[in-house]
Amino acid sequence: MATDIPSIACIGIIGRNNNPLHVSIFPSYNPYTNTLAPLRTPLQFSLLLSSTLDVFELRARHAAGTGTGLSGDMGLLHAVDERLAAYGFETNTGIKMVVLVDMRGRRVDASVLGGKGGAGSSSAASGSAPASASAVNSGVGLREAELKVVFRAIQNAYIRLLQNPFFEPDEVMEKGGKKITSRKFETEIRRIGESWTPGVTSL
Amino acid sequence: MDGYPAGSLDLNVPFLVVAGLTSQPPNDLPLDPQLQEQGILLRSKLPSLDTEDAKALRDYISTRDARDQPWNTQDQKPYRFRVGFSGRSFIFPPRRARLPDHVEPPELPPVLHSPFSPLNPVSPLYPDGLIDAQWLQKHQELVPSVYLCVYSLESDPTMATLHDKSLRTDINNIRLAAVHSGYKTRIAVLVLGDGSKMSNDPAEGMQERLDSIRRGVGLDTKSFFYIPTQDSPAELERATDSILSTLYTQSLEYYRDLGRHARKKRSRGVTPQPTVPPTTGTSQTLSLQGWNVRYDFKSAVFAEFRQEMDTALRSYDQAYDGILSQDVMDILPSWSPRWNEARLLTDVISIRAIRCALWNGQTTSAVKRWRAHRDRIADFVDRRGRGTKNYGWEAWQSRWALVMARLIEKADPSSLRPSTLTLFIPPEKIVVGEHLQPWEMLHHKGYWYRLAARHLVSRRRLAHAMPEEDRRAPGDSPASVVASRAYTYDTYLCPEPHEEYPLVGKGTDHSQLIIDCLELARSEFQSRKQLRASAEITLEWAKELARVEAWEDVVALLKPLWTDMSFRREGWLNIAEDLSWVLRAAAARIGLGDVVVSIDWELLNKQFTKRPDWEYDLSKSLEGVQTKSKPTIALTDDTVSSFVFASFIFKNEEGRAGETCRAQLTLTSHAFQFSAPVRFRQVRVDFDGSLGTIILDQETGSHPDSTYTKDDTTLSIVPLTENVRSDDDSEEVERGSVLHGPADLELKAGCTKAFEMAIPLREPGEARAASVELLVDSDAFALSYTISFGEVNTANIWFGPSLSTRRIPRPKPHAIQIQPRPPKVDITHINPLSQYYTDERIDLVLDIVNAEDADAVAKLEVHVLGDHIPAFSIELEEGEKQEADASQSESKLTNISLGTLGTSKPARARLSLEPSRMPMPYEITAKVTYHLVTDPITPIMQSKTFHIDIANPFEANYDFLPRLHPDPWPSLFDYEGARDLGDGDEAAAPAHPRCLAQKWCLVCHYASFASEDLQILELEAKVLACQPSARCISISQLDLPPDGLTIPPKSMQEVRFDMVVQKLSLDERGPASLDAAFMLKWRRRRDAQSGDGAAINTTTMPVPRSIVLGIEPRVLGSVSHGDVGTGLMQLDLTIENASGHFLTFGVTMEPSDEFAFSGAKQTTLHVLPISRRTISYRLLPLVRGCFVRPQLVVRDKYFQKVLRIIPTEDMKMDKDGLLIWVPPAPEEADGEESGRKGLDG
Repeated sequence: MATDIPSIACIGIIGRNNNPLHVSIFPSYNPYTNTLAPLRTPLQFSLLLSSTLDVFELRARHAAGTGTGLSGDMGLLHAVDERLAAYGFETNTGIKMVVLVDMRGRRVDASVLGGKGGAGSSSAASGSAPASASAVNSGVGLREAELKVVFRAIQNAYIRLLQNPFFEPDEVMEKGGKKITSRKFETEIRRIGESWTPGVTSL
Repeated sequence: MDGYPAGSLDLNVPFLVVAGLTSQPPNDLPLDPQLQEQGILLRSKLPSLDTEDAKALRDYISTRDARDQPWNTQDQKPYRFRVGFSGRSFIFPPRRARLPDHVEPPELPPVLHSPFSPLNPVSPLYPDGLIDAQWLQKHQELVPSVYLCVYSLESDPTMATLHDKSLRTDINNIRLAAVHSGYKTRIAVLVLGDGSKMSNDPAEGMQERLDSIRRGVGLDTKSFFYIPTQDSPAELERATDSILSTLYTQSLEYYRDLGRHARKKRSRGVTPQPTVPPTTGTSQTLSLQGWNVRYDFKSAVFAEFRQEMDTALRSYDQAYDGILSQDVMDILPSWSPRWNEARLLTDVISIRAIRCALWNGQTTSAVKRWRAHRDRIADFVDRRGRGTKNYGWEAWQSRWALVMARLIEKADPSSLRPSTLTLFIPPEKIVVGEHLQPWEMLHHKGYWYRLAARHLVSRRRLAHAMPEEDRRAPGDSPASVVASRAYTYDTYLCPEPHEEYPLVGKGTDHSQLIIDCLELARSEFQSRKQLRASAEITLEWAKELARVEAWEDVVALLKPLWTDMSFRREGWLNIAEDLSWVLRAAAARIGLGDVVVSIDWELLNKQFTKRPDWEYDLSKSLEGVQTKSKPTIALTDDTVSSFVFASFIFKNEEGRAGETCRAQLTLTSHAFQFSAPVRFRQVRVDFDGSLGTIILDQETGSHPDSTYTKDDTTLSIVPLTENVRSDDDSEEVERGSVLHGPADLELKAGCTKAFEMAIPLREPGEARAASVELLVDSDAFALSYTISFGEVNTANIWFGPSLSTRRIPRPKPHAIQIQPRPPKVDITHINPLSQYYTDERIDLVLDIVNAEDADAVAKLEVHVLGDHIPAFSIELEEGEKQEADASQSESKLTNISLGTLGTSKPARARLSLEPSRMPMPYEITAKVTYHLVTDPITPIMQSKTFHIDIANPFEANYDFLPRLHPDPWPSLFDYEGARDLGDGDEAAAPAHPRCLAQKWCLVCHYASFASEDLQILELEAKVLACQPSARCISISQLDLPPDGLTIPPKSMQEVRFDMVVQKLSLDERGPASLDAAFMLKWRRRRDAQSGDGAAINTTTMPVPRSIVLGIEPRVLGSVSHGDVGTGLMQLDLTIENASGHFLTFGVTMEPSDEFAFSGAKQTTLHVLPISRRTISYRLLPLVRGCFVRPQLVVRDKYFQKVLRIIPTEDMKMDKDGLLIWVPPAPEEADGEESGRKGLDG
């Protein structure tokens, strides 16, 4: 039986001034047409990314209030709806990385998934909920920790971008400034977004 | 949760009826009339209470009604009641319904059932329904768990017994009626005191009376209460609370009994038979599984009444599993109304189960249930129903999301309130660690409302995709279509296709539904400060409004967003763009020309995506837009970004007032390629600081010779003219003059235009280009766009004439530092001398020249700095003179008024420094402070510093040589001659005191250290002191030529002075010290030439101290020449014995090859005290023109000491002894000069 597993639908790098530096959009599986296509339009993804900034601000305010949570990993920012969920990471220079995960972005054979172990053993059916037949549609869940590897990879890519002496971060970070144009960076982000699946330990 | 039957979703709380506090008529049963007749009436004969206490009680109890309380456990009271008030009578629903009239009574006496049971033909559930809301309603609203009768106690003792008796009877009647009704409702009695004193006094047998009543009606203390009249409402409330808490336990007991009953019936495992077997439909009765579902549901509801949510949850789960099992819903045909009823029941059970989970704080499990039900029903509908690809399913989905939102709203979890700033609740402990879906963390309502809105959008999409024949009213369509339609469209809780989206007329207002959801969602997001998310929703909302063409509303929604536009500020251009287009469309419709133009202006920027088929031409912006008047729009770069970028650069960092500075204004267009050029009517540059406004006016084709074009860049040199017209606004004039310049201000897409101008600098201070205002003025609208420059401007490109670019590497290229106007008064030192000397008076002549255009009123100030400043004075031409005293380190003269200086007319000041004794450097600063007559406020200052180095004009060194005094010494034996000088008449013999005298010669070697020839007018030696007891009696004078001796610089000169010193007393034996000085009177040669007789300076140089008149004996040699021809000369040795001893000397003279001599070769000489003796030798030199060395030795016989022979004139000495100069023979006399030179060494 086929099962839906999460995949990355969009990776956004957002600058210090809340300006978008880079947005990569990845196709999701559409069970009706049996094709891969982005779940939303670029505009909608922009809106989604920008709305995560609210969450970053709320977390920052909360962290300032309690004096905690200064580590960059924000974990789940919010679930946009049943399929899309936003996870975030903020570097100490204020660069925000947002990964929008489509909880049903890929369809795999359940047996393959079973072989992978761990990832899909418990579907949405928790013990008490009377939902035995729902596994098909609800897909498998996701732990926040499973995205750490993605953020690490993105951060590495960004650091490599910064190491390029011809890259001027200030130019990029300038208010309403330009976007990242490095082809290498884009390729790297694309590779990260395409190769991640839950349970992957290195990218 | 509209659409679900009333009461089906309410939280069940124990139902309490309070009777006797109102005078309402008996309640009406919400049942059909037939059943209403069968209602069971509880009636009391006593009147309702109408006292103050009764009213307060009623009011308080009604506030405790749990109907609107939130669905959580946060209520602090230990009870929770749904309260009903009735008068003295109350109608219960019939316990068993009679057989309907039309049914033929069976042979056996029929088993009658409750009218709410599917067994009863009067029930809508008959014969095979599961359960419906009526049953819930019965328990929640019709049958109370506790029936509380309120009475008052008669306080009048005469009436008490009678009253108590009637009370007892009444209560007994009610109890009896209740028992007869078949319901297990508990009867409770509350007796109120009537307010008199006695009723409050237990000693008066009150307790006894109450007890007797209670016993008389057979109630225990838990059902019989008494509230004496209370003093305060708070006490009444407290008493009431305690009574209600007691009743609450009773009422829980009541529901426990009912629950137990339901479970008992389920465990019996028997399918009850209906009163009459069904004769219609499928004739099917409810199966055993169906009954189990019914019983489970009942137990769950009763548990909910008891607020035992865990139990309820278990029973709900059982009922849910039961109903969705193969035995219940699977066997229902989907066309049957029971199918939808069962589906409704699953919804109700699910909602109730979710509510239980939320009640228990299991938020994640609540969401899981929500999802699970959705998935399960989807599966079910796909399998058995009409599928999930029609609008009905989406309608239900949105309903289902709304249900969750409402549930969250009612449950109101404290950890999700807006004040907590959390967006979702982390999973509860049981599920932590599982692979959770992110959505399974309970998010706040806003997300659910938005989800509902999304499903509504899908619903509309699907509805609009329906074929036309399905949308006809059933009467207009063929029956087959109607039939097929019934199998295609899911109409569960939503309208039929012809009502959803009819061909004619209005169907469901989807947009309104969507907007309602979005509005709710937005307020949630806003309350949590999710401003961007709420902006996103607003945008969706606006698009929905645009769909229904509510343009005014679109503008009202989007205008604030567009104005604030955090998206634009943060660089989310695609969002900003989308928003702008929606707003533009709306604004164009309602004729908001300013908004339309502003958006067109902004969207011209090529960083936005180009809209195909759109004509980007600002001037045609308002075509087709109805505006009331010509819009005037003022935009700034803070609010609206633009395709025009401006920069302003000064070429130089600094400038001076009165000069001009070149500056460039650069306008760059980033408009879409091929978009129409924009023509500005005016460009205005405003400055901060001391520069006036510059306005460039549109003038086509102006000055082609001063315009350079290369590629897309144009540089124009713009001449600026000052435009001070008398008819200008007075305000304009106050702000400073305005400079105008003509320029071609048409800006093509992608082009850069630079305007270079020479800006006259007027006032000192910093000036910074503050903003550039671009003005577009067409027939349709006027738009001004202001671009502000910040503190630091990054634009720094300067265009050269060949349009080569040059970076101006300054942090603030748009700022200029204007230095104050330079002073134009000059101070000059007239005829400065190359060197100044000590002992001369120094005159400096300063000329102060006014080179300004206007007369100046000036003051002079002079500072002299240095060590040991001599007194000085300043004299002006007009004769005013000021003097300053000598000072140690600083001296000044201030406030010397120069009066009004005419232009180019010098004022002369003479600064005179008194002669300085020491060579010193001085710094003289002359400062002129002035202001122009035309501008008396601005003080201007000019200062000049002169350095004067004063040097010694002469240096000298000295030899002090002994000479033989010609006069004889006084004889000790001559009393007259030897008397003390002091004893006699001083006036009588001043010149020749008869004391010891010595003659000395002072040789001064001096040189001029001046840089020029100096003229010496007088040379003099002066004895300053001769101590002790000695004096100098004569000094020889030198005769110089009358016009002095001119000595060139750096040449050595020599002068000799003979001086005679004499002791004042013979008795004085000690030596004396002589302090002399060498004095020169001199003047500068130039002065002498010009005949300026003033400056004869005297320089006095001290001679080192010499010791004279010692008492040691000394031997002086002297030579006198006799016959020049033979060269014969006489050598005299004079031995002076100034001491008081008798001395004996041995004198020996050795023969020599150089000369022959006559005299004693060896002799002894006795010298008396204070006397002298001379011994003579006659020498005939054998050589001429050289020194001869006589081997002459004088020895003190007594001390065996050789005395040094001191040479005098024509003699000299070296380490071997005495040398005597032999003049050359007359024919060799030429060589004499060179030979004698060595004599004085």
